Amino acid sequence: MYADVRVSLPGERSSWLSLLRPRLVISVLVIAALFIWPLLFNEPFAYYVGTMLSLYSIGAVSVHLIIRTGHVSMCQAAFMGVASYSSVLAVMSLGLPWIIAALLGIVASVLLGIIVAPIFLRLAGKYFVLVTFLFGEIIRMVFVEWTSVTGGANGISNIPPPFEAVGSKFAYYYFALVIALCCIFMSARLLRSEIGQTLDAIREDERLAACSGIPVLRFKVIIFAIACALAGVEGVVQAHYVRYLEPQSFGVIASLNLVVMNVIGGMYSLVGPLLGAAFVGILPELLRQYVHLQHILFGVFLIVAMAALPGGLVEAASRMADLVKKTFRGRSNGRHA
Amino acid sequence: MTSLTIWAQVFVNGLALSAIYILIALGFTLLFGIMRVVNFAHGEFAMLGGFSLYYLYGKLNIPWVAAVPLAALLVAAVSLVLERLVFQWFYQRMFQSMIGLMGLSMVLMFSSLLVWDAYERNVPSPFSSIIEVGDVVLPTDRLVVIVVAAIALLLFYLFMHYSRYGLSMRAAAIDLEVAQAQGIETTRIYKLAFFIAIFMTALAGGLYTQTYVLSPLVGERPLMIAFIVVVLGGMGSIPGAALGGLILGFVESFLGTFYGAAVSAFVSFGVVLALIIFRPWGLLGKPE
Repeated sequence: MYADVRVSLPGERSSWLSLLRPRLVISVLVIAALFIWPLLFNEPFAYYVGTMLSLYSIGAVSVHLIIRTGHVSMCQAAFMGVASYSSVLAVMSLGLPWIIAALLGIVASVLLGIIVAPIFLRLAGKYFVLVTFLFGEIIRMVFVEWTSVTGGANGISNIPPPFEAVGSKFAYYYFALVIALCCIFMSARLLRSEIGQTLDAIREDERLAACSGIPVLRFKVIIFAIACALAGVEGVVQAHYVRYLEPQSFGVIASLNLVVMNVIGGMYSLVGPLLGAAFVGILPELLRQYVHLQHILFGVFLIVAMAALPGGLVEAASRMADLVKKTFRGRSNGRHA
Repeated sequence: MTSLTIWAQVFVNGLALSAIYILIALGFTLLFGIMRVVNFAHGEFAMLGGFSLYYLYGKLNIPWVAAVPLAALLVAAVSLVLERLVFQWFYQRMFQSMIGLMGLSMVLMFSSLLVWDAYERNVPSPFSSIIEVGDVVLPTDRLVVIVVAAIALLLFYLFMHYSRYGLSMRAAAIDLEVAQAQGIETTRIYKLAFFIAIFMTALAGGLYTQTYVLSPLVGERPLMIAFIVVVLGGMGSIPGAALGGLILGFVESFLGTFYGAAVSAFVSFGVVLALIIFRPWGLLGKPE
């Protein structure tokens, strides 16, 4: 649970480097693999899955940042939707180039976040979940009812790609991958820094953190705004990839999926939502015939995780690693296992 | 149609909606008040009640008066399995219950989709006639819904106020530890409360789907209704659920008839949002 916090004492400068190294190596290998495999396999469908995984991970990290402050937000998909619709309308109705439209979309999402965050974040955890749940529904209803702007339940179709160069699935995979990696790196740096430690302090004991001089509400609002920006990034990149917008993809089930990714993977470390996103993204492809089965499995996972294993896969993995270590330590000491 | 007829129909519609809503909300608030569990899967139990009625009345042709309570009994009895498997891990753990039961809601909804497919069905209504009272024309099925729901609510009230188990449940809701110290067996009370809550929800679900439409996706609406009513009236407060149900039923009937369903939905959501922010304990609840 404390895996992301590394406290270094003065004079111990080199030790944190050595602690970091195996993780660094693994990360570099994984990233290299992510860049290389499309060159080895020519599978447009795999590029599609890979692109969606990159996008899901951005959304999952968005929810993750808020979870690290101790709140579970059920409306991040709604912020995604706000950014998507804004950028698509900017491109199709105002004729703006994608970069500007995307920025507009992200700004729209962040603005909305800054407006509602100070109100919502004052509430205790259980009320926050309810409020974000309702808010997400309200935003979705706005998408459905405001037909003149959003096209209503039928949505908007024939959205153009961002640039000519990324028109193909192959190119878009790298586009999305690079953007996702930037977001993940930024978040990782954020969480490893003092800000990240402050977040953990707020989550563990809010009143103690406040007594230590941390402006709790301000912190939470800023993190919420960053999370909305991330959701906005996923929204603008996804809309121009799928090229079709409909309100249903920004409703409660979409938000719940992002939460599921966090819960399955592990809520308290950044690797969790990434693992969860991979899980949630790949599972439907393995269960092609039985699409409904995936949701049933997610539901079961949610139940089991909430009842017994809040740390998700990451906690399960670390518990297994502890178990293995204990067994080996026992043997080498000559004790009976 | 005279204006009196329109008002009378809006009134009767409002009363029928209120009755159904109160039943749904009572189940929800029982689970919250006694077990501190936020049942996000509540709508799915209503939906299952609808399917149960569909099969008992529509396919097996059991007379309607018997089919309605039997359908609810069936759902409640089968759900006791879920109580042991799922719900018991979340008692007194509100936050975990929210997300865990969201998971249960997904499991129930998509399992139902697997079994029954997404297309909409109609639960046949035994009452397609109308009643004329003077100038006013009223649909019989709404009146019957009001009567059935009123009977259920009356029985519930009598149970909660005059039976040993009802009093135990209320004691457990007020202060669990003191109730346990008085010798009240919480496991049994929990099971009983769960059974009653699901019974009422399934009953309401049967009536609701008979009035509107039946499909595995139909559970979302009763969940929203339960939320709105319970937050309005105060989470954990039974008279609050009754008051909230009345308010929502009439507001929806009125707004829905004169301004359309969208306005009605926005208003109810907006009011509930504002309530949670400024007065989370609702109209009749207690600030925690």
